[in-house]
Amino acid sequence: MAKPKVASDWLAGCAGCHMSFLDMDERIIELTKLVDLRATPITDLKEPDEEGVDVGILEGGITNTYNEEVAIKMRERCKFLVALGDCAVFGGVPAMRNFPGADAALKRAYIETESTDESGKIPNDPELATSVHVRPVSDVVKVDFFLPGCAPSADAIFYVLSELAQGRIPEVNDLTNKWH
Amino acid sequence: MINVTVNNLPVEIEAGSTVLDAIKLAGFNVPTLCHHPKLKPYGSCRLCLVEVEGARTLQPSCVVPAADGMKIHTDTEKTRAARRFVLSMLFSERNHFCMYCQSTDGDCDLQQCAYNEGLNHWPITPAYKPFYVDTSHPDFILDSNRCILCRRCVRTCSELVGNHTLGMEERGSATILIADDNVRLGESSCISCGNCVQICPTGALYDRRSAYQGRDTDLTHTSSVCMDCSVGCYRVVKTRDNRLVRIDGNYDANFVEGMLCEKGRYTPFTNTQERIRQPLIRRNGDLIPVSWGEALSTFSTQLKAHSGEEISAYINGRQPAETLSLFRNFFGNEFEAGQVALVGHDESAAIALELAKEFGAFESKLEVLNDADVAVILGADLVKDHQVAGFMLKRKLSEDLALIQITKEANTLGNNFSRKLIKVGDEYSKLLDLVTGTKPFECQEPEARYCLQALEALAAARQPVIVIGKEFAAKENMDQLRRTIEFARGINAKVVVLKGNTNSFAAAIYGLTLRPELKGSAVAFYALGDGKVCPQALEALKASGYKVVQSSYCNEATALADIVLPCKIWNEEEGHYLTTDGRLELNRVAIVADEQQRSVLEVLNNLSEKSGISLNADWQKELTDKISSIVLA
Repeated sequence: MAKPKVASDWLAGCAGCHMSFLDMDERIIELTKLVDLRATPITDLKEPDEEGVDVGILEGGITNTYNEEVAIKMRERCKFLVALGDCAVFGGVPAMRNFPGADAALKRAYIETESTDESGKIPNDPELATSVHVRPVSDVVKVDFFLPGCAPSADAIFYVLSELAQGRIPEVNDLTNKWH
Repeated sequence: MINVTVNNLPVEIEAGSTVLDAIKLAGFNVPTLCHHPKLKPYGSCRLCLVEVEGARTLQPSCVVPAADGMKIHTDTEKTRAARRFVLSMLFSERNHFCMYCQSTDGDCDLQQCAYNEGLNHWPITPAYKPFYVDTSHPDFILDSNRCILCRRCVRTCSELVGNHTLGMEERGSATILIADDNVRLGESSCISCGNCVQICPTGALYDRRSAYQGRDTDLTHTSSVCMDCSVGCYRVVKTRDNRLVRIDGNYDANFVEGMLCEKGRYTPFTNTQERIRQPLIRRNGDLIPVSWGEALSTFSTQLKAHSGEEISAYINGRQPAETLSLFRNFFGNEFEAGQVALVGHDESAAIALELAKEFGAFESKLEVLNDADVAVILGADLVKDHQVAGFMLKRKLSEDLALIQITKEANTLGNNFSRKLIKVGDEYSKLLDLVTGTKPFECQEPEARYCLQALEALAAARQPVIVIGKEFAAKENMDQLRRTIEFARGINAKVVVLKGNTNSFAAAIYGLTLRPELKGSAVAFYALGDGKVCPQALEALKASGYKVVQSSYCNEATALADIVLPCKIWNEEEGHYLTTDGRLELNRVAIVADEQQRSVLEVLNNLSEKSGISLNADWQKELTDKISSIVLA
């Protein structure tokens, strides 16, 4: 039987969840015996296979139209989607900007900070993605498993992937449900 | 007793218990947030919903009384769904993002409930409505964004502390925790006892100093008795890496529901005095660091070179009973020193002993305040001193406790009492005439109505309590004190004498006299420890020849000493404290002191070794033998 294909991507996150993934150290070799690790932000292949993968993993929340596109593409190309980390699950740190609103947050960041002078302006290049209300991945696409944590531990990520690789749905337990 | 079943398991429980009590008795658990064992049931969070057969809807188990024959189910599809829904609603309402909250991983009941229910995401999108963060208080922060409106803080402030500072404003999702009529906490009537902070189940109220210093489980917990006054509240001293992080009230103790006041919880953190790090000896006008051996030899030589009459020894009442006893034996019995004295101004402990000689055991335990329907307070300011004893009265406001208070200065204790007689002054003779009804009552409107109500309440009291404080418990009031005790006997009132600071009761029993005519002598030893310098002791020290001061901190006394000895502070030394009502309690070591620090007890032991004196160590029996003749069990 062919090994299940796994792809991952990151949205509005800090890459910490992927760092935590790498923290499983030599167990990555074990994992690659079980799964075919395809496109990830830390491998050469950047987009999930057009013909689809078995498991898709998304780190980070939805903060702009580009994140929405990436999330929709991943959902279309995977059979089982994992939301990895507090940002993907809840919106996380970027969701703080929902409290003042995106306009106020951008103004503060680009115009009012102590390090900007009167020339500061909010980037408005038409090629830039448009900011949206920050949401968890599950507000845009259906998520099959939530793995919260900031970041989720390497043990939790290893457990979830090895369970999925062996055709089992991971349990929600002390290891896999630990918010920070 | 009534019979109910919980998840088909029959249990017998006392009538008047709640459904939650029955569930716990049967060995089951339902999650709760607004409920707290120290508070009255409230039923605001709805997390404890259970199925009761025959009931139309799910029932909040914390407030619903258990009834005979009730069939309760805690773990059904309906209850599980309701719990997840309630939690989802709570998480959706405000900012409950754990990754930027300081109260997580065991410090937050809300997060723990989500874990217990297996909730691993929020089904309902949060409202993202920002609330004002109140940082005006010096000890803690109120972040309403983290508030779940359980009102544990509000109930603590009113039910347990009786201060009624906290309350709620607005309705529905706009409901917000406020102080007084919506002023900032730092400008409110808050007395900074911090009990609301300790009871908050989320990160809405949090301690400034211990924030981000680690989870509660990362901290080392040391159960001790508070020795910042003589009430003897039970506290848990929390440390990390030998550093003081936080002090909490001990909820395992039933005494005053584990409450603490500002002195017990926060004052130990506000000390900015400079610590003395090693023994010092004055040479050519300057204090020079020396070894302990040299410092003690010099001290010992000075003691031996003089007759007892030429030696004075003063001690601070914050010292443990062991030390007080040894101090008395060493200087009083062995050296027959001219003066062996406890310093301070508070004679109340000695007065209580004096009264007990005449009246026998005339005092009661502090707990009698809990059952009082009329409290007569004579010369005690329970807002400033012995605050937790004040809580015991203030919180009975709603039960219509009548208060009769006579103090030198006005205080806020009686502010909200509707039946009260407040008199400011110290003419106890006249005021006792009034209280005892021996003189006709003269008073001006509108005060008169209050006063009459209070006096009527006293006449009809079921359980009156008379509290005597330091202003009244003085030698010049002996006649009035006798009259008060006789009056108390006549109306069957309980009497409580609040005995000064920390260990002054023990000191009085050991016969360490207070407020003597402190005079200069050839050699003077001032065992100050971590206490405050007493002006009288300082004057006596100035008039003395050779001055030895053992102090934790640099101050006016150490500045003029010939020998300065470092001293362990309260959390570095184990020792016993005798509370005002005769409970002998232990204060434990929470911080391991630097090796240069020694306690007064250790210094006395070192000195007695050098002098070849062996001391009677039976300090405890002397106390326990005496207590029963003063305070009724």
